[in-house]
Amino acid sequence: MSHEIDPRLLSRLAANRTSRRRFIGGSAATAAAAILGSSFLAACGSDSSSSGSSSTQDDGGPASGTLRVSNWPLYMADGFIAGFQTASGLTVDYKEDFNDNEQWFAKVKEPLSRKQDIGADLVVPTEFMAARVKGLGWLNEISDAGVPNRKNLREDLLSSKVDEGRKFTAPYMTGMVGLAYNRAATGRDITTIDDLWDPAFKGRVSLFSDVQDGLGMIMLSQGNSPEDPTTDSITQAVNLVREQKDKGQIRRFTGNDYADDLAAGNIAVAQAYSGDVVQLQADNPDLQFIVPESGGDWFIDTMVIPYTTQNQKAAEAWIDYVYDRANYAKLVAFTQFVPALSDMTDELAKVDPASAENPLINPSPEVQANLKSWAALTDEQTLEFNTLYAAVTGG
Amino acid sequence: MAGVASSSRQRSKIAPYLMILPALAYLAVFFVVPFFSLARTSLSSSGGSVYLPTLTFDWNFANFVDAFKLYQDPILRSFGYAAAATVLCMLLAFPLAYVIAFKAGRFKNLILGLVILPFFVTFLIRTIAWKTILADEGWVVSALGAIGLLPEEGRLLSTSWAVIGGLTYNWIIFMILPLYVSLEKIDPRLLEASRDLYSGGTRSFRKVIFPLALPGLLAGSLLVFIPAVGDFINADYLGSTQTTMIGNVIQKQFLVVKDYPAAAALSLGLMGLILVGVLMYTRALGTEDLV
Repeated sequence: MSHEIDPRLLSRLAANRTSRRRFIGGSAATAAAAILGSSFLAACGSDSSSSGSSSTQDDGGPASGTLRVSNWPLYMADGFIAGFQTASGLTVDYKEDFNDNEQWFAKVKEPLSRKQDIGADLVVPTEFMAARVKGLGWLNEISDAGVPNRKNLREDLLSSKVDEGRKFTAPYMTGMVGLAYNRAATGRDITTIDDLWDPAFKGRVSLFSDVQDGLGMIMLSQGNSPEDPTTDSITQAVNLVREQKDKGQIRRFTGNDYADDLAAGNIAVAQAYSGDVVQLQADNPDLQFIVPESGGDWFIDTMVIPYTTQNQKAAEAWIDYVYDRANYAKLVAFTQFVPALSDMTDELAKVDPASAENPLINPSPEVQANLKSWAALTDEQTLEFNTLYAAVTGG
Repeated sequence: MAGVASSSRQRSKIAPYLMILPALAYLAVFFVVPFFSLARTSLSSSGGSVYLPTLTFDWNFANFVDAFKLYQDPILRSFGYAAAATVLCMLLAFPLAYVIAFKAGRFKNLILGLVILPFFVTFLIRTIAWKTILADEGWVVSALGAIGLLPEEGRLLSTSWAVIGGLTYNWIIFMILPLYVSLEKIDPRLLEASRDLYSGGTRSFRKVIFPLALPGLLAGSLLVFIPAVGDFINADYLGSTQTTMIGNVIQKQFLVVKDYPAAAALSLGLMGLILVGVLMYTRALGTEDLV
């Protein structure tokens, strides 16, 4: 085999040789263009406000067309969507792509700020996130005419500190944020926040990474209240968490994903949502949920209509359908959370008698009295509290 | 004839550039522009509205200083874990690649296939599967506990060992394959010659096989170390509050705290640190061809 290189090839290679200097020079020029260019491009992008063509019919006729819903996973009962489609004649494109409030917000804030469609006509964020989006002016009002069943809401939910008169948010499901524990793993009952710090559970405790869900009950145990949060009261709670974390007491900071560890026995005591525990109890009767003695808080997931919606009427029709007690009972029987509607006992008993009697789905007035709601936070407060807590959870 | 030659020379001058144009365009759009946008963000200060902050570019190098002072621990920890994972990968992959290249005979393709098979399952699922395998009540922990090999926390999950184990497992394929390729390319006549010159097994290995496998080792260790440093999934699922890596910090800064200048400074700084480390490493190993 000859190893001689064709001399013509050699000369071609020599002719095409790019010197390192030329290459670096070229890329520097590209870079300079890119720095200036990217700001130019950004300016271009924000100017082109493509309006998601609003096909809101003002003709007073019934809703028609397609409705796109974006909801949390495991938040819908089988057969519910089909029932809605039959009753209303609408087509529903239902996606369970809402997993985390902050991550959803990070995804949609750019398009929403430019009035670009986000792929959903109805979304179900938690109330604090709905309040934030409303404050930015990105929500459509939910008309009273479109949702006559709104009167079925629980009395304490008819209005809210973050949304006077519930004009922009429609509560979907509520739940209690408290403590869940594995009775077999702990060997005793858990009743207070101090139980979380018991050295016997070292490395087997999990807290929420979300400021409101994680710090609410901790603040209550320190004599402060989430109804009136200040930098000091938040810092006090954060410092307690930091102290326990440094001791190795806390295993993980979780989102919705504490359930696996709890069921597997890796975690003995976790901050948890009431509905999750009800679902887990079916397979593992050792799991218990309690609202700590010093108090817990409510979370409320709300249906909102972004202002880029392409079918306002259909979204309102959906909300109205959800607010019918018979339909809603099916949702509650599946999700096992606390209903947002009042007087659900009868309807629940028809669909699932066990739910009607379950104190986690139908909590007593004493338990309800021990649950607080967070105050409406300003943007600056949210950012400040998020930063304070993230320093402990993420660093 | 000169005319034909010169026009074909013209064409061939442009031809290589035309051929790499698609790749260059792709890199320009998806790497160069975002990179410089990130660089720009890292040198900016944010102000104005909280959720839609306006970034003003003002050569704010303080972002880098602040970020690195605050997050020293996760950075050092990430480099440590990634280095440990790389070394473990080397130790585990070398014998395997050696066996496949030299001893497998007609089962070579079958074994290679079996080695690659688990990696058809997505990264995330494989990591979550480890949570079940290493569960506190699981058989692995019980067995290790019986012989007294558990770390001081008395468990495997939510310890640094689980994170390093996860990193090793997820990237070992990138060590096995380059190593295998290097070893496969070794001319068996070289080994014959070494035996003819009275070298025993270990000497042949030290003098012939290992130096020739070095390019594969270098390529493999780069392919394992660089992504491992920035990983956040393993620390998220298998780790605890004491094992946060820099990837987790950057993710939090971007998505929750939304401090874009700090997050960008951390990303770029990390990139710079890895680049310096890698340059020193390749210098030390002294190989010129990577395959």
